[in-house]
Amino acid sequence: MSGLPRQAIVRILLSVLLILSLYLLSAATENSSRFGRLYLWLLLINGVVLVVLSGLIINNLQRLVRSFRARETGSRLTLRLMALFVVLAVLPGLVVYGFSMQFLQRGVDSWFDVRVENALEDALALSQASLDQRMRDMQQRLEEAARDLADVSSDMAPITLGDLRARTGASELTLIGENGRIIAASSMDTDSILPHRPEESILLQLRQGRPYVGLDPIENAGLHIRALVRAPGPDGPGNTRILQGLFQVSPRINDLADEVETAFSEYRELAYLRGPLKDSFILTLSLVLLVSLLFAVWSAFYLARRLVAPVSRLAEGTRAMAAGEYGTQLPPAGNDELGFLVRSFNDMSRRVADVRDAARQSQALVESQRAYLETVLGRLSSGVLALGRDGTLRTYNQAAEDILSVPLHEATGQPLSALVERFPDFSPFVEQIEAHPHGAEGEWRAELSLDTREGRRSLICSGAMLPGGAEGGGEVIVFDDVTTLIQAQRDAAWGEVARRLAHEIRNPLTPIQLSAERLQHKVGNRLSGEEAALLQRSTDTIIHQVEAMKDMVQAFSEYARPPVLELQRVDLNALVQEVAELYRGQAAQASIRTDLDEHLPGLEADAGRLRQLLNNLIRNALEADDGGACEIVVSTRRGTGRHAGCVELDIEDNGPGFADAMLDQLFEPYVSTKPRGSGLGLAIVKKIVEEHNGSISARNVEGGARLSVRLPTGEKGE
Amino acid sequence: MPVWTSANPRIAALAALLCLVVAGNSPPAAGFSVAALEQRFDNGLLVVDGRIDYSLTATATEALENGVDLVISQRLSLERPRWWWRDVEVVSQQRRYRLAYHAMSRRYVLNRLASGESRSYRSLDALLTRLGTIEAWPVIGRDRLDDQQTYRLRFETELDVEALPRLLRTVAWASDDWQLRSEPATLEVRP
Repeated sequence: MSGLPRQAIVRILLSVLLILSLYLLSAATENSSRFGRLYLWLLLINGVVLVVLSGLIINNLQRLVRSFRARETGSRLTLRLMALFVVLAVLPGLVVYGFSMQFLQRGVDSWFDVRVENALEDALALSQASLDQRMRDMQQRLEEAARDLADVSSDMAPITLGDLRARTGASELTLIGENGRIIAASSMDTDSILPHRPEESILLQLRQGRPYVGLDPIENAGLHIRALVRAPGPDGPGNTRILQGLFQVSPRINDLADEVETAFSEYRELAYLRGPLKDSFILTLSLVLLVSLLFAVWSAFYLARRLVAPVSRLAEGTRAMAAGEYGTQLPPAGNDELGFLVRSFNDMSRRVADVRDAARQSQALVESQRAYLETVLGRLSSGVLALGRDGTLRTYNQAAEDILSVPLHEATGQPLSALVERFPDFSPFVEQIEAHPHGAEGEWRAELSLDTREGRRSLICSGAMLPGGAEGGGEVIVFDDVTTLIQAQRDAAWGEVARRLAHEIRNPLTPIQLSAERLQHKVGNRLSGEEAALLQRSTDTIIHQVEAMKDMVQAFSEYARPPVLELQRVDLNALVQEVAELYRGQAAQASIRTDLDEHLPGLEADAGRLRQLLNNLIRNALEADDGGACEIVVSTRRGTGRHAGCVELDIEDNGPGFADAMLDQLFEPYVSTKPRGSGLGLAIVKKIVEEHNGSISARNVEGGARLSVRLPTGEKGE
Repeated sequence: MPVWTSANPRIAALAALLCLVVAGNSPPAAGFSVAALEQRFDNGLLVVDGRIDYSLTATATEALENGVDLVISQRLSLERPRWWWRDVEVVSQQRRYRLAYHAMSRRYVLNRLASGESRSYRSLDALLTRLGTIEAWPVIGRDRLDDQQTYRLRFETELDVEALPRLLRTVAWASDDWQLRSEPATLEVRP
């Protein structure tokens, strides 16, 4: 925009020059003499303007060509407008020029009328004719005077010439010798020392015998009649002299002749200059027209650029909007329709930017809420699954993956059944969900047991439809792992049972035992033979059974005993080695192998309870022996993933495995498949594990069963 | 430059305008030439005699006979040459003559502009012959010249285009017919 004032100054200057040149042309055409005076100025001004305009146009053309080649916005439109303006300016200009030229040719010619020219020539001829008579008279007078000089010697000639001059009325009489030398002269003008000497050609004519008479315009003295005649000398015809007389034309005739002469000369000069005059007019007209056209072309550039500039800016603004640069503001473009368009564009751009900002805020809010929801879901202990209308998995929380122990992320965007092939144990859950197809019923609730890698789990599932139209909708499944809860309830019940049983059974056992011993002691000595033996066997049986019942009651009381732990730093590997070594000595047929992690972290645990735990587990594995070679593998390892803060202990045997029906109640008291089992071994194991905030699971593996114990180390996981 | 020799004065004038070259840019025509130039001392005065052949072009003659006055200037200068710088112009004189045709008397009038002295001639040749005759043109007194110095007389004559009617000037600037000037003639002067 900084160039605009400079351009405006140049434009105004050129406009003034153009108007001045047009004014000069107008003033010059009023008459030719003024034209002559102004002609140089016209040429100069127009020449300067022409050069300046040509330079400006070339500069503009170069800019236009450059921008057109660079395919700048608006260059095509500028070119078209330019062409249009130029045609609109040039065509009428050329038409006017053609007419002007024609008019000029005819107009200048009309100034010169043949009749005027003839009249002037006639006037001149008339003047000459009127003077001819006077010239002949003067010649006769001079010839007469020449005859009077026939007897006058050269010495006397000056005196005689003075008389003759007075008599003939000549203004000057000169006697010239044969050789052209002036013999004597007499002049009316006393200031003039030298007489007017005739030219050689006249003298030659006189020598040839022909007199001369003619007009002679003398500067500052007016028109004179010059006559030369032969004047015989006193020495005879061989010595002829020449008498020259200058006769002044009367002032009246002189003035008239002068006026005729002046008018004729001026007209002749003007007629002669008609060609250059026309040429000059045409040249000037052409120049002015050329300058005007160039000015129009230059203005066309300016106008085209000025018209196209808002359109170009609009185009660029639109392009920017399309590229996502919302809020683009264009400079104002006046109060016309283009200005209105620019203002509308600015409003639109501003509003789009506002809407975009609002959308961004909404999106941020949605993201925030989504993050909030994910956080809430992530912190939920319940598993949450969201399914689409078509049954595909849309989202889930971490608890769901933990509870189900399947990689749910692999099934995102697919039906849950896609996981069944790889995880067959997962099928009951899928079947449960598919049993309640979306839309068939509003909400549903179900309980199911699921085998997972972490063991068998009891789940309570509930499903509900999600609100939404065609795009939304779907189903949300919420499920809780109630295994622990159910187990706790059972444990509590069994603990109560065990406590009462122990209380009720322990009391009569000692009297029974004592009674049996007393009976044997008191009665045994009195009996003999078979009776004594019978009594002995019976009382032994009673005593043994009572012992057995005492053991059972002890076990029950231990099971029901409240947890009192003596926590200390325990090396689980050392404990495992110690217990395994104990059993290696006792069970000759059993093979106990250990696979221990050397980098296993220590545990904050009750070493006695853990020893009991290991004892129970190994014994349980040994008792699972089905008669073959018993192989037990005890392994420890550091937990990984979400179990990084745990130590994992696996005890795997090659027995027949657990019966499917028993898997749910494996850790419940008084549940045993073994003929001699009390049914409390695994229940106590589970109790010990839970006392240490750990978890235990059992599952059948290929060629045996595996019990997995997971105990927290108390350290923060990786 | 072909433009200047063009027979079309209109185009030539336009070209002259476009180039903004206004004068003194055409080659000299062969119309005027110095046939003889002599110097002598007469009564302690350096005078110059000479003869110049004046020959007007048909265009100039036609203009003269149609009432356009012509002015011819004669310029005589005496210079003292200097090897180390421009020559010193000791004296410079100019004579200007107006040539006119008097329709009433059918005579050609030669008028010396400085003195107003006027003579008329029956023919243009007679006038030009008289104009071309230089007799004892006084230049400078001998006492004003350095005896040890060599001087150079320079004489040149031309038709004064600037004295033409304005309308004719543009054409005259661009046309060879009006470019009438002699080559400078020089004489060595030893006092």
